[in-house]
Amino acid sequence: MTIDWHAYQSAGFHDELVLPSGRARAGAGELVQALAKLSDDELVERKTAADLAIRSMGITFSVYHDGTNIDREWPFDIVPRLILKREWDEIARGLKQRVRALNAFIDDVYHHRRSLRDGVVPEDYVLKSREYRSRCAGIDPPYGVWSNVCGSDLVRDADGSLYVLEDNLRVPSGVSYMLENRAVMKRIFPELFEHYAIHPVDDYPTELAACLRSLSPRDVRTPRIVVLTPGIYNSAYFEHAYLALEMAAELVEGPDLVVADDDCVYMRTISGLERVDVIYRRIDDLFLDPRAFRKDSMLGVPGLMRAWQAGNVALANAPGCGVADDKVIYTYVPDMIRYFLGEEPILANVPSYRCAEKDHRDYVLDNLQDLVVKPANESGGYGMLIGPQSTRRQRDEFVRVIRANPRNYIGQPTLTLSTAPTLAGAAVEPRHLDLRPFILSGEDIYVTTGGLTRVAMRKGSIVVNSSQGGGSKDTWVVERATKERVA
Amino acid sequence: MTVNVLSRVAERVYWLGRYLERAESTARLITVNTNLIMDLPVRLPLGWRPLIDITGSGELFESLYGKRNATERNVCRFLATDTRNPGSIINSIVGVRENARTVRENMPRITFEYINELYLFARSALVPGQPRSRRGEALIQISRLAQQLEGFLSQNMLHDAHWELLRLGNYIERADMTTRIIDVRTVDLIAGHHELEPFQDIQWRSVLRSFYAMQAYHASVREPVDPPLVLEFLFNDERLPRSYLRCLNSVRRSLRGLPRNGAAVHTCDRALKALQDTDVARLGGMAHSVELHQFINDCQVHLIELHDAIVNTYFG
Repeated sequence: MTIDWHAYQSAGFHDELVLPSGRARAGAGELVQALAKLSDDELVERKTAADLAIRSMGITFSVYHDGTNIDREWPFDIVPRLILKREWDEIARGLKQRVRALNAFIDDVYHHRRSLRDGVVPEDYVLKSREYRSRCAGIDPPYGVWSNVCGSDLVRDADGSLYVLEDNLRVPSGVSYMLENRAVMKRIFPELFEHYAIHPVDDYPTELAACLRSLSPRDVRTPRIVVLTPGIYNSAYFEHAYLALEMAAELVEGPDLVVADDDCVYMRTISGLERVDVIYRRIDDLFLDPRAFRKDSMLGVPGLMRAWQAGNVALANAPGCGVADDKVIYTYVPDMIRYFLGEEPILANVPSYRCAEKDHRDYVLDNLQDLVVKPANESGGYGMLIGPQSTRRQRDEFVRVIRANPRNYIGQPTLTLSTAPTLAGAAVEPRHLDLRPFILSGEDIYVTTGGLTRVAMRKGSIVVNSSQGGGSKDTWVVERATKERVA
Repeated sequence: MTVNVLSRVAERVYWLGRYLERAESTARLITVNTNLIMDLPVRLPLGWRPLIDITGSGELFESLYGKRNATERNVCRFLATDTRNPGSIINSIVGVRENARTVRENMPRITFEYINELYLFARSALVPGQPRSRRGEALIQISRLAQQLEGFLSQNMLHDAHWELLRLGNYIERADMTTRIIDVRTVDLIAGHHELEPFQDIQWRSVLRSFYAMQAYHASVREPVDPPLVLEFLFNDERLPRSYLRCLNSVRRSLRGLPRNGAAVHTCDRALKALQDTDVARLGGMAHSVELHQFINDCQVHLIELHDAIVNTYFG
């Protein structure tokens, strides 16, 4: 038995590779055909080879509260996801536009608040956001950019239209998996790379390093860049180490750094103290500096905010940037684009209802069964209600929490996320997925070619987060194939 | 900009070096002892207890297994797979892996694959109570994988400060193990057991085999196996990679590649001076076993001081 694409059914969903007729989508012909040529044994063999490669490469993510086993192999699916270059170029343009507007908004929030005065975003939403940091007011990060590394989540609905689900402006993760997925695919399917012009992804670390260098407060030839990690028990530690390695930056933990009396940041080395210019921090604002924020933080560096405010060190992303990473503020991004850039949004938002507004709230409360309800400030898929899959009790609980704190919730229609063929045993079945491209902003702006495709490995599930059973796929941005074939 | 090393990273690289050496030498110890036991008459008091003494873990062993329970099964379990023993092979390999996890960006990327391979192999191949043959194969393979890893690092890692710190860990651990093996094998094992004298030759050979140094001894000394010559060879032959002198010289060389090395180099020089001032061969005679033991004790104290100097200078 080999894959029978005519038997492959993704009824009611947009499938990224296969049309309802069983034919391959534009550009996917070669891939679909190559996969169909493999016997069941060969398919399973490739899958085993991928698992082995991942295991021996030590690609792991860890999950909090997972007992003693902090390493878990990271689920990878061997069937890649395809995007045509032409479509991608348009998406990339839309992402740059979005991030430019978001950074302009954050800079405005911490300076003149024009957009708030002009009623683009209600002042109350902004100043009462859990992510608003009053002590960041008046600070001027380089180029007016607050979110230097952004990961925006894109989804496709049943009719194939693309939406931005959210913009992760604080400390988005996953880019190392994007890079490793490609490395694994090259190992196990080298022949596919002969037939396709697949755009490379591995310039990311170079671009990230250039972006971070452009932030250095000191005008030196090679500024000292460090990646600040919470340590090996953090779920994204693998990524922190990976990026540090690829950028030739130092991977540091809070206790490695010290702020001296001159308000500069230094790291402790075998030669004594050495000055640090740029910190790519992978810890949340509130843990950055026990003197400024949480006093019990063991992860941060006492005095770090003082050094940043004095302009002696760059922090990427800038503290306080999360004020725009709030699911309620998200609903205003199209307006920000019009206001700050004078342009029409290229990428669409998911239609959203703000529970703080009475008519929106009433609609959400009346239609909980059909909606997805999200809290403003959670990430990782936690704390949300997926209406169609919810129980009576869960919905009652959400009625209560929404009424208690309407500002904190938005409702959205349940999108029927697109699918792609995914290996389940020796068969290929549709699984839902999304896409997280990464956008770098410093002196220049850069978007990854494609991004990280996250896939819900459980049948029917639409939760793609790695902390909740999600896996990932390699993402190919390809030129349109010369000819299409029936699979 | 010069390449610098974080103090925390320096400490982990150093311990990586120590744990790797420890895993390898412990695997070797069990292998050599297994071979020795097979060559000796069953009624002899020699057994597995000396391995516990070599690793300096008598108290812990007795608290876990009881006073007179140094059976082959217990000792091998304790040294190989017992996670309650911080110096067991499995814990040493976990130590290698944990330290490597946090410094993987300072080594060739593929290093972690080698380390993972070693770890996964040890975890699956070492089983308490397994038959000698299976255990032997597993230990030889572990020893091989560990040496392969050391060789790989030596041939591929940038020989910068990270490398010197790794070597410091290697050589201090190696010097420690070399002196321990000599101490136990020559003092505890042989002295006082007159019925063992006919087998003395076998035991000295086993000492040499513990260092994979049988052929090296013959090539270097060109005399039959004789205690004073063996001692001189193991302590003072600069050409033998595991000799005490060679270890100290290597430590000194690595220190010279690091900044702020004054205190540690000074400590190393004192250890070298003590070795130079001692007529090691003379201590090879039966009559001098107490002196030999005392001398080895002094060596161990020097090594501890050396370790402390490194900790205080670089890891603070």
